Amino acid sequence: MNIQDNYLKNKKNIFFSENKDIETHREKLINIFENDRFDKKNNESLKNINLKNFIDFKYKYLISEETSVINNNHENNYSIVSVNGQCSSFKDDKIEITKILDEDYNDFSKNNTIENNDHFVNLNSLFLNSGFKIIIKKNNNIKIKISNIVTDDDLTIFQKNNYICEEGSSLNLIEEYENKNNSTSNILNVIKLEKNSHLNHFLIQDNSANHNLIITTHSSCKKDTTYTQKVYNFSEGHVRNFHYSELLEANSEADLQGIFFLKDNNTSNNKTFVKHLAEDCKSNQVYKGILNDRSKATYFSNTHVDQVAQKTEGYQLSKGILLSDNASYFSKPELKIYADDVKCSHGSTIGPIDENAIFYLRSRGMSKIAATKILISSFINEELSSIDNEQMSELIQKKLVRYLSKVK
Amino acid sequence: MFLEIKDLSVKIENKNILKSLNLNINKGEVHAIMGPNGSGKSTLANVLAGKEDYEILNGRINFKDNDLFDLNIEERAQEGMFLAFQYPVEIPGVNITPFLHSAINSKRKRMNEEEIDNLSFAKLLKSKAMDLGINIDMLKRSVNTGFSGGEKKRYEILQMSILNPDLAILDETDSGLDIDALKIVTDGVNKLKTKDNSFLIITHYQKLLDYIKPDYVHVMVNGSIVKSGGSEIAAEIEKDGFQKFQ
Repeated sequence: MNIQDNYLKNKKNIFFSENKDIETHREKLINIFENDRFDKKNNESLKNINLKNFIDFKYKYLISEETSVINNNHENNYSIVSVNGQCSSFKDDKIEITKILDEDYNDFSKNNTIENNDHFVNLNSLFLNSGFKIIIKKNNNIKIKISNIVTDDDLTIFQKNNYICEEGSSLNLIEEYENKNNSTSNILNVIKLEKNSHLNHFLIQDNSANHNLIITTHSSCKKDTTYTQKVYNFSEGHVRNFHYSELLEANSEADLQGIFFLKDNNTSNNKTFVKHLAEDCKSNQVYKGILNDRSKATYFSNTHVDQVAQKTEGYQLSKGILLSDNASYFSKPELKIYADDVKCSHGSTIGPIDENAIFYLRSRGMSKIAATKILISSFINEELSSIDNEQMSELIQKKLVRYLSKVK
Repeated sequence: MFLEIKDLSVKIENKNILKSLNLNINKGEVHAIMGPNGSGKSTLANVLAGKEDYEILNGRINFKDNDLFDLNIEERAQEGMFLAFQYPVEIPGVNITPFLHSAINSKRKRMNEEEIDNLSFAKLLKSKAMDLGINIDMLKRSVNTGFSGGEKKRYEILQMSILNPDLAILDETDSGLDIDALKIVTDGVNKLKTKDNSFLIITHYQKLLDYIKPDYVHVMVNGSIVKSGGSEIAAEIEKDGFQKFQ
């Protein structure tokens, strides 16, 4: 079925299909797909995947009543169970959770620059069927853990979440994705940090082989803000983690980190795109991958420094270990600098495990497999030891041990 | 015979490095191999430790009644062979203490000995480190990472003293050491010497042999041992160089 027919057939289940403005916007998006008007060669969103499989899909969505928001009665600690992309509404004096509204859709669609180039964001906007908005109120310090549950096979979830951190607030956000259904989740997180707010965002991804997870994050940072994202991908199914970040005002910072652990025929596509649009801002991008068997990964990192963004610091680093001759990792770091007083760097190293280090460890009596495992752990030691949440740290270690148990 | 190398020929990437090399070491003996650059000294050390880049063309090696070629790298270490590397590898993220603890226990396990617990190991490590003048803070760091040349060599000797090998091969342990560091390192080696263990010391210079007295000195040129004798050979090399042996 072509994309227009698919959309028209399921229109009644798609958010905001009665809104004329949104309808007009969606017609434009359909046009992009229908007329094949996109650059296929240089489009990062198309690497390692067959877009046809994602465009020519059978739409299926179910609303579940099992969502919940619980204030754990511990200080400022909330647990959310989001089911099929939906979340219950909730309000207290610290946070407010609502459904996503037409205005949130319009706000993103009209102001962002990523649509047209990113087909999965376009698909998300076209078939949007779920999502929520969370506001952290002024000067509050909040912890939220979200378990993202998918209930059935063959679901196609198109979810848009808005997070707004009001002035002076801090949010520690942990998102877990552990699904075993044969489904696809296409999630767009739109994050706004108001003046002097801070967000620590952890994503733990551990889906089974038949679950596709496509996550796109768009963060915008105002004055004196920090946004930190740490992604740990242990999924056996395809995962896409794309991050678009805009440092809008002075002294804002984006720290983006990702580690992926791949095996079998798994694929993982990653991208970070940071725009420095004000002076005295800082960005740091570190992505590391461990790839076994016939797995494939891509990482595109792009730092754009506008001419007004003097005193910028922008760093990019990607590293990969290939545990098999058949695994591949394509990394492309890019810096575009239009200001003259900046400190920027980029680097990428990908290769097999260091044979000299293996020999050294074995020459002290350690078996080859133990030496390999210890070197894999040491490769990501810096990132894992920087996790300041004990529960998270233990969870990641446990998943790492499981991954290492399959390394032969 | 403790170590017997018989008619050993080895090549790497189509280049013959060791050519019909013979060497016998008995228990309790200290042997030194001296030779010019490129004579095959480090190749011999690596072949003994089991590095897999080399092709064995001919010959055999017996170590403690085992055919050495039947043992893989770690089994050789567990059987009591130790190579102090010329260029110890930096391994960021692998902490020294748990690594060494795991190494000693892998050896004990093979020998059917009881594994050493955390506390006893910590005490052992601390006392050995103090003997070698190694700062305790260094033991909290990653293996060889950010170490100076001298620290790396001292750390090799620390590992040797913890693992207490039957045969220690020191591959140019003196290179890059100042005179004070050389003294500390060689003191460490001398403390380990007993009638039950043996040493194979590879060096360019006689200086090291002023501190560690060898029972035998061998001159290695172009992949073969061309002369063997006592300490007088080292003095001869110091005076005249390797030219006359080539």
